[in-house]
Amino acid sequence: MEMHWHWLIVIYLFLGGLGAGAYLTSFAAEKGWLGSNSRLKKVGYYIAAPIVAFGTVLLVFDLGQGLYKPWLLVRLLLNFGSVMTWGVYILAAFIVVGLVKAFLVFKNKQAPEALGWVGAGLALATGAYTGLLLSVIEAVPFWNSFMMPILFVVSALSTGLSVTTVVAHFMEKQGSANIKENQVHLSLVAAELIVVVIFFGLMSLGAKGPVGAQSAASVVSGPYAIVFWGYFIALGLLFPLVVFVLENIHLKQSAQKVVAEPSLTETESSAKAQSGHQSYLVLVSDFSVVVGGLALRALIIFAALPIWDGTIL
Amino acid sequence: MDSMKNIIISRRKVLKAGAVATFALALGISPTVLNADTAQDAPKNPDQLGFMYDQEKCINCKLCAKACNDTNKWEEGAEWRRVLVGKEDSKNFLSYSCNHCEKPACAQVCPVKAYRKREEDGIVVQNPEVCVGCKYCMYACPYHSPQFSPDTGRISKCHFCYERQDQGNKPACVSVCPTGALNYGKLTELRKTSSGVAQLEGLPNPELTKPSWVIIPKA
Repeated sequence: MEMHWHWLIVIYLFLGGLGAGAYLTSFAAEKGWLGSNSRLKKVGYYIAAPIVAFGTVLLVFDLGQGLYKPWLLVRLLLNFGSVMTWGVYILAAFIVVGLVKAFLVFKNKQAPEALGWVGAGLALATGAYTGLLLSVIEAVPFWNSFMMPILFVVSALSTGLSVTTVVAHFMEKQGSANIKENQVHLSLVAAELIVVVIFFGLMSLGAKGPVGAQSAASVVSGPYAIVFWGYFIALGLLFPLVVFVLENIHLKQSAQKVVAEPSLTETESSAKAQSGHQSYLVLVSDFSVVVGGLALRALIIFAALPIWDGTIL
Repeated sequence: MDSMKNIIISRRKVLKAGAVATFALALGISPTVLNADTAQDAPKNPDQLGFMYDQEKCINCKLCAKACNDTNKWEEGAEWRRVLVGKEDSKNFLSYSCNHCEKPACAQVCPVKAYRKREEDGIVVQNPEVCVGCKYCMYACPYHSPQFSPDTGRISKCHFCYERQDQGNKPACVSVCPTGALNYGKLTELRKTSSGVAQLEGLPNPELTKPSWVIIPKA
């Protein structure tokens, strides 16, 4: 069977998660969940809404009528029973709230506490939506799994943290990278690996029938195996996992070393423990997390097989 | 003191994240509760129309598809009705279009409400004029009935010749079938055919969308 959705949709779903994850990264940093003095407090806010908005523009290009009769797009708000309609509302609201929040952060103005939380809720909804859009399609067993939104949200958080880290490395002067951030990312990558194993395990075992197993096989051992094992598993998950673990050990050791030197004051020691710069290896692994996230979206879209292949015996 | 503060915040975070995750999870689990009534039971709408296809009588002349095209002027690349031939020249055929389902997945997912199910006869009519061409319905329909035309960038599909029917005529496909293999009528009546089924081997489970069709398979 021919595919109906192609690269534009893949990139749109990927960017939706990436932007949502970037927002949540800065939100977490602002709340102090990524360690004190994090350098990720602003950058994620700046890039979140533009990333999602760019993805949405791509989607418009993919619509058969996007450039032909664009006024029809208003009707996308009509069917409250359609997940795609939910998505239009969620994305539109997220882009608006994201831009307002970014503007206030840029102006160093105190944004209302509620605004930040609403944005975080919408970001989570955006990430979940990209998976939910697929998971409600019963005629595509590979998509029709409750794991799909979970997988996409975890990947969104991970890729969002990565892209924010990379951009912050080049753009942000204030704050520093620290062990908390490293630990959060380590657990996200580990969680994604677990979700992926469960998802493909269940699919392969036929939890969604023979067609779901066939889709899974095309990814794990079929035509998409190179993208799956190479780009997604090795580059997107295992390589970053190893780098983050090594970085974690390194950061802990240097923290101990500092404690062993009593001449330093407490603030000095903690500042030294949180080494100011990300190592380049960590930056490379962040980049490969993002590539892995894109590969994941591509695999999920392209490996979709319909429940009926349109033939009879 | 500082660590105390951290703990409180992280607990709140965990609770909130947990609540949101539960919500996302609940949304993700699509309600696939099986209904007690099977697809062979009486349709909800007693006036629901449906097609009936007798596999024994079909000779694969494809006049049904041709008549459909002549009447409804298919857009380039959009086939409203097809006649499938079984694998390895099995001499099994299947002429099918849209099944005007009781639970039409196309109408469920269409973000612009291009689909409507007529109350008087249950025909699922799609309006190409308001379709934005997102192709979501192409994934949702288990029968590949919504057809996309790259030429016009929009979906169209079988509408059971509802305009002809409103004027008292038969659907074009049924009217030209030379062997009487293809018929139509009220589903409640068609379902009384003893050898009729709603699914052939390899075809989607009728529980998915409850298609309004009856197939009389080759013995």
